[in-house]
Amino acid sequence: MAELKLVNIKKVYDNNVVSVQNFNLEIRDKEFLVLVGPSGCGKSTALRMIAGLEEITSGDLYIGDKRVNDVPPKDRNIAMVFQNYALYPHMDVYNNMAFGLKLRKFKKDEIKKRVDNAAKILGLESLLNRKPKALSGGQRQRVALGRAIVRDAEVFLMDEPLSNLDAKLRVQMRAEIQKLHNRLQTTTIYVTHDQTEAMTMATRLVVMKDGIIQQVGAPKDVYDEPDNVFVGGFIGSPAMNFLNGKLIGNYFIMDDIKLLVPDGRLKILKERGYDGKDIILGIRPEDINDEQVFLDFSPETKLSASVEVAELMGAEIILYSQVNNQNFVARIDSRFNITAGDTIDLAFDLSKAHFFDKETELRIK
Amino acid sequence: MIEQLKEIYSTLIVYKDGSDQLGLDYKWFATDNGEIIGIRNDELTSRDVSLLTTFLSPYKVKFPTPTEAERNWRKVIFSADLIEEKDWKPSNPFRFVYFSFNINQIEPLLFKDAIEALFDKQVSILWESEHEGFIIEQQMLEEESISFEQIIDILMSDLYVKINFFVGPYIKDMVNLTLHYISLTNVAKRVFLYTNKSVVTYVEAIPFILTKQTEAELRIDISKTILQEYIHDEETIKMIETFFRCNLNLSETAKVLHLHRNSLQYRLDRFVDKTGIDIRQFHHAMTVSLALIARK
Repeated sequence: MAELKLVNIKKVYDNNVVSVQNFNLEIRDKEFLVLVGPSGCGKSTALRMIAGLEEITSGDLYIGDKRVNDVPPKDRNIAMVFQNYALYPHMDVYNNMAFGLKLRKFKKDEIKKRVDNAAKILGLESLLNRKPKALSGGQRQRVALGRAIVRDAEVFLMDEPLSNLDAKLRVQMRAEIQKLHNRLQTTTIYVTHDQTEAMTMATRLVVMKDGIIQQVGAPKDVYDEPDNVFVGGFIGSPAMNFLNGKLIGNYFIMDDIKLLVPDGRLKILKERGYDGKDIILGIRPEDINDEQVFLDFSPETKLSASVEVAELMGAEIILYSQVNNQNFVARIDSRFNITAGDTIDLAFDLSKAHFFDKETELRIK
Repeated sequence: MIEQLKEIYSTLIVYKDGSDQLGLDYKWFATDNGEIIGIRNDELTSRDVSLLTTFLSPYKVKFPTPTEAERNWRKVIFSADLIEEKDWKPSNPFRFVYFSFNINQIEPLLFKDAIEALFDKQVSILWESEHEGFIIEQQMLEEESISFEQIIDILMSDLYVKINFFVGPYIKDMVNLTLHYISLTNVAKRVFLYTNKSVVTYVEAIPFILTKQTEAELRIDISKTILQEYIHDEETIKMIETFFRCNLNLSETAKVLHLHRNSLQYRLDRFVDKTGIDIRQFHHAMTVSLALIARK
């Protein structure tokens, strides 16, 4: 088991593209840490620097107490799993798991012991003689995990391992990887662009954009308390709504619409000097309500909106609407039959909303 | 010491990672400081070698023993007179696939074992140096194909090595093979300076190579003229590059960039308004693509 520490890590490619910068992170022993962000944000580069596959331009990387910047990848005691299942097409499952150990000149007995153990953990015992083409996508990904398990490594690095699977299988494999982590307790660093995957699997999330860490925290903390507009918009589906307006007195004003800001939030905004200034209101779709009880209790945070699109998701409806030419999305109960073209009253629960600085896009706190 | 040796052996070179090659026509030695030096074989007698090894350590290049097919390939590529004989010819179309990895990451022997395991047969590899060379891949239509992107992931997970592949085109005959090989070698060694991709095909490399052959001043002028006020606008440049990567597909680009389709449409329209270039049209897109390469 291992802890990792990344101190001021920076990666600049030969063509002067800065891929990762100011990357400071401590990864705890046995943790399941997820690096999440849009494509090109530097998450895979960060993972590959940990693996030793990308040279670190500056900064220090520690595994345990040892600085490993100059330690070759093979000596870092890590194992990797990729989006491509990374299987030898002509080898059966047993040999796919064994081959890496054979190349490293492990003894036959030891190889057999490790492969049998991994096959047992992953429920692959009955498939050991099959070749990859005779396996389903999920089974292939389990073999890929098996290839990592036989290494008996201190750290697992997983780069979008579920991206090739269909949506249903991805959900299943998410749970399998979590179970595997609970069982093996190996420190795992997992890269994904899928915020749902990140939210459901992580002990802690690291949200990245343009090579810079935006926020680190437990999934619920990041969801509930996003540090900036990017994190608020990236984590959560449908995304958080952002509405531009101005704080005047006790109200958030969007042209002719006034929403009363709750006392706690108002105090902070005023203390930080935002009275009379442009700010951004961030509110999650589920914090916009259409139920009568909310409307009755929120006379000063409600508005009428015309529904442009209503998507029935089963238990809920996703409404796409506009207020003063600003788009927003609401997630409401599907008990009421709402269709495009309807005008409905909606109450904004501003006690759960956030306010962001218009210039820096940082949350005002 | 190296300077003194240079006075005696005019062909002496000092190996620098990524620059020279640990070629087989040199005898290689390691100094006490860890520097690797090479002297051409034809400048050394056995007495010289004995003398040098008293204060230098022989540096062994661990190449696999060439197979008969590899020896034949070397002959047909490098010996012009033997090409005429046509006494040996591969049975299927073939292509040269250049590979390179960082020096000392893996031994050539290990690399060859892994490559042969991937193709499930003997594969000819022509080593250019200890960490680069060409795989000669014969076209086998009935086989289950494996992409070079997949091969990279497999080798990365088994051998902990980061590899670049430059994939040449399939060819059918041996005419002008030497020229083709040399041309591919030149392209392969340059193309990875301009892209972060690990697998580049011949077709993908052509715009890089042609653009980079123009004068630096002309490249700057082209990129400025075409990209105009956007030349330093990294956000727009990223948007355009993504648009090209997504084959000019607006929806796909919007998805990758986490933008609303209408926002992307608006930004592309703004680019058209300001530059007069509509990158949704093939020729305009091609020109901007070249300007982006010229800008790098």
